[in-house]
Amino acid sequence: MGLDVPGIFGTGSPTFLTTKVDFVVNWARRNSLWPMPFGTACCAIEMMASAASNYDLARFGMERMSFSPRQADVLICAGRVPYKLAPVLRRIWDQMMQPKWCISMGACASSGGVFDVYSMVQGIDTIVPVDVYIPGCPPRPEGLIYGLMMVQEKISGESLTRHAELRAEDPDAAGKPRAGDAQVRDLTGPFGNSTQQNRLSGLVETDATERPKDRLP
Amino acid sequence: MNKAGSNPFAMVDEGPKPSDATVFPEDAPEAASAPHPSVEALRDHFGDAIVAHEVCAGDQHVVYVDPARNVEILSWLKADPGQHYDHLADLTAVDYGGGRPIQVVYQLWSIPHKRALRVKAELPLSELEIESVAGLWRCADWLEREVADMFGVVFAGHPDPRRILMPENYAEGYPLRKDFPLRGRFSRAEQTRRALRQNPEDDYFPAEMGDREPQLVASVADDEDDESEEVNHGD
Amino acid sequence: MATESAEYAVSRNPEMGPDGSLVPSPMDPFDAPEPELGSETMLVNVGPQHPATHGVLRLVVELDGETVVKVIPHIGYLHSSFEKLGEYRTWNQVVTLTDRMDYLAPLIYNCAYVMAVEKLMGIEVTERCKVTRVICMEMDRIFSHLLWLGTWSIDIGAFTPFLYAFQQREKVYKLHEALTGARITTSATRIGGMMADLPEGWTDGVREFIDNLPATLDEIDGLLKHNAIHIGRTQGIGQISADDAVNHGLTGANLRASGVPYDVRKDRPYYDYETYDFEVPIGCHGDCYDRYLVRMEEMRQSMLILRQALDRLPGGPMDVEDPRISLPSKTDCMSDMESMIHHFKLITDGIPAPAEDCWYSVEGSKGELGMYVVGDGGPKPVRWRIRPPSFVNLSAIAALSEGHLMADLIVINASLDIVLGEIDR
Repeated sequence: MGLDVPGIFGTGSPTFLTTKVDFVVNWARRNSLWPMPFGTACCAIEMMASAASNYDLARFGMERMSFSPRQADVLICAGRVPYKLAPVLRRIWDQMMQPKWCISMGACASSGGVFDVYSMVQGIDTIVPVDVYIPGCPPRPEGLIYGLMMVQEKISGESLTRHAELRAEDPDAAGKPRAGDAQVRDLTGPFGNSTQQNRLSGLVETDATERPKDRLP
Repeated sequence: MNKAGSNPFAMVDEGPKPSDATVFPEDAPEAASAPHPSVEALRDHFGDAIVAHEVCAGDQHVVYVDPARNVEILSWLKADPGQHYDHLADLTAVDYGGGRPIQVVYQLWSIPHKRALRVKAELPLSELEIESVAGLWRCADWLEREVADMFGVVFAGHPDPRRILMPENYAEGYPLRKDFPLRGRFSRAEQTRRALRQNPEDDYFPAEMGDREPQLVASVADDEDDESEEVNHGD
Repeated sequence: MATESAEYAVSRNPEMGPDGSLVPSPMDPFDAPEPELGSETMLVNVGPQHPATHGVLRLVVELDGETVVKVIPHIGYLHSSFEKLGEYRTWNQVVTLTDRMDYLAPLIYNCAYVMAVEKLMGIEVTERCKVTRVICMEMDRIFSHLLWLGTWSIDIGAFTPFLYAFQQREKVYKLHEALTGARITTSATRIGGMMADLPEGWTDGVREFIDNLPATLDEIDGLLKHNAIHIGRTQGIGQISADDAVNHGLTGANLRASGVPYDVRKDRPYYDYETYDFEVPIGCHGDCYDRYLVRMEEMRQSMLILRQALDRLPGGPMDVEDPRISLPSKTDCMSDMESMIHHFKLITDGIPAPAEDCWYSVEGSKGELGMYVVGDGGPKPVRWRIRPPSFVNLSAIAALSEGHLMADLIVINASLDIVLGEIDR
């Protein structure tokens, strides 16, 4: 929820104060992301491998896997999501507090993967807004870490003055699909999703084509 | 690796070539497998309830039984000390499509005798009902539920005949039937809408609930008559 | 150290009779009649998103106080319709699906599937391929048991074994990667052989892994085996008798912990398992603690098999030399028109299978893993059915956990070693 009163945090142009506050707030948010591991299948095992000592997600401020959505900042949807699980995923997303981010880990979560079948959601972006898609089947732990760093980079570009528009979410949309019928149809065309690569990427603003900037000290 | 200077094509004549192959499957004479002791015993005991017998994949004996007498035959196979098929390894069904009957397949294994037997019962599509064997083997409970869920076979006398893998109110049919399309009968949009309309807390089975009221954790607006759902797409 | 002083050192739960049976202990210390309050039970919903359900399992639990009256498992939250999808793929393409099903022991599933199809087609694989597959399967048995060990100890309340186990698992990941290029989703087998021959130095890597593993296992065993908390949480919990275990269809370590020595590797040997020197560990109480002991010992026996298999690994070709089944080598394809055409035909047309059915089961890491394949003379299966060991094992959870505490339900669930990808398929 952004503050929409005009003034320091209002919609005006950024001032010295707001940019510095932004910097501090973003720094704090970025470095203490608590992931909500929504692990269903193979990707969950790689997520566990990332959390174990060889890859050690804790180095990035993700020490605590938050199994309760209400204390989590970033939803990592790792694995395939059948329609039977879709309302559960939506419920968990709705239960998470703002600000929140979502990572779609792996091919199945991002597009349905090989499972272009009757029971599978063809990409969780039809259900919840996704910030970062991680390709791979499953992605390596390095991939997950890279994706999380992209989220961190995205956070560092956020501003309290633009917060309201960036993270706007209609409270009435709780429990409803994120994509409309036409969009779902476009995404999951008659020949499967492999011919339809356009995603609902309106929210993904990071254009990190190379390695994200090293984190500030 | 070819030696330097030698003709690279000289090597390719080694080994069998695709055109050497005869028509695939096995024209090799089928090894006469040893007769299965249970098959003879079954014929002696049940006579014409044993519809057919065949040997598959070299040494696997398959017995087709009368679906009306499946429990009788299977309980005899389980209880008779000479047979003692105590381990129901698997229970499944096969739909060959084209209107052919659906086969219910029991894979039996006898731990003491170290012997396997496959029992099949053929059910015509018009009459997909067979007696449940959940009373013989407890593991048949879930396996039968799965067959019922996926093929629509009714298991008479099953203690808990609910769908197991698909949602309880799944309306598209029986997925593993041959006439079921791979991507389901509804459009993706409809499938997504139906999925999200469900309340995960709602599908308690009455037996689970007892006389309780369903607990409402969150009120998800359920708008049946709202055909044009305006959802914020975030752009 | 509190746990090392004599008063905490328990060898066996004192509530157990000498034969291992659970002696009912007086629940009510005041020996008073049940108060009226006890008549109402409570429904608790565990899952489908819960860290202790090992995936997306949902358990509806009816509780009387903290005692479990009834457990109703709900599954299907990960139903990915593998079996339906397999009917639309050629025989070789299905291999890719098998390891997505049990991502804890992918190579066992790869191998079991192609073994069933080879049996259906009447193909005898080469000796080198057989031994390679034995190495793959035993390695993945350890791989899977290590994950079970980690999650099991987390469910008991210990986090350290998880980290130890994952360090060893990383070594198997590296071996997987060297063999197939993928860490989990290996898809390493093909009908009539393997995807590729073993890379150079790979067997040395396996040897190094099994040389280092016993130290880790001993360390974890030292943390858990005589640990009073571990013993108190697991002994006498989730007990099942041998007859009931067979009747419930339990297989694998869950069945053997009840004292039934049924192991497919011994009872219906495949790939010359009868010539390997190894033991099948069995328990005698059928409780969670025995399941732990059986699995720990299975890992050690798998190491024995691995050593023998590595010693006897023969040279020679990996794939069968039948051009109807195996792809021609890349060199041949590039130099010989007939091989090129043939390669194209094999990839596009697939391999036909006879119109028969075939049931083949191997000893998976979770239990008896059966594959039932039905062909119709064409290149695609009519039906591809997996006998999922965890599915059947999980169906016994209601019977196992009734009368125990809610916290024990988590332990029982962990002791069954389930993987939801294979339960829901």
